[in-house]
Amino acid sequence: MASLRRHEGYFMLDHRNAPSLTDAATVNAGLPIGAGRGLFEAPTYTCSHCQAVVFINPMRNRERAYCRRCDHHICDECGAKRALGAECKTMKEILDEAQEAAEKGLVLPTL
Amino acid sequence: MAKWSHGLTTFTPTAFADTTNMTDATYFGVVQGGSSTQRLIHQEFYLGGQAGASAPTFMLVARDSTVAATVSLGTGESNAAIDAATAALAAPQVVGNTATTKPQRSSTLKLLNLSFNAFGGIIRWVAAPGEELVTVGNTASLGELSLSAFTGGTPGLMGGHWIYETV
Repeated sequence: MASLRRHEGYFMLDHRNAPSLTDAATVNAGLPIGAGRGLFEAPTYTCSHCQAVVFINPMRNRERAYCRRCDHHICDECGAKRALGAECKTMKEILDEAQEAAEKGLVLPTL
Repeated sequence: MAKWSHGLTTFTPTAFADTTNMTDATYFGVVQGGSSTQRLIHQEFYLGGQAGASAPTFMLVARDSTVAATVSLGTGESNAAIDAATAALAAPQVVGNTATTKPQRSSTLKLLNLSFNAFGGIIRWVAAPGEELVTVGNTASLGELSLSAFTGGTPGLMGGHWIYETV
């Protein structure tokens, strides 16, 4: 069985030779407290539903949203929608449909 | 097919709220499909701070709710194929930070937050294969990505590159 770690990208924030970024700013950016000081490296994943890039916070205790249909981690917002009964529709499917519609001269969908 | 590097040697961003016109040459740039069916795969973003004093800068990669028109490269901006043997496209992708119709960042489709201190800070994101950001076509809101500064902080001088692939 393939590991979900195959989806992980790489993120680096280097403030070793710079003043730090405040904790408020790093938290707003979706990063953990302290990420704005020194060197911070983290894996990321791209939400398969909306394509938002999510930094994997090593300190997180809460469960990470996961979609069984597309076998992919999803962002918290898409996870909440999925929990409320929204169907899984990946961004890849939306983009394929848009490309197909454009080839047929139809109006492209908007998000 | 072919990888391209969209670079900007040095610029000072202006902070823009969502869904407002971006002013020429004060955002990193936009990348838009060259035709209604062109697919672009965005793989890497890198920014290096060049400011001379502390400059917390909140850079965002987002889809645009209003796409730019008549786009051209600004001063110090480049868009070059990474492989010297890359063939010219019949419908070249549209890249630049100067436009007649100004791009507007979507308020809901922000994809990557690249907040850093531009006084010597460095920030980089690289996607795993198959996990890149993708755009299709040249219309809103699937057809264009922008990299620009969000409201707040003190945007400072920086340079960087944005690597993407035409398909």
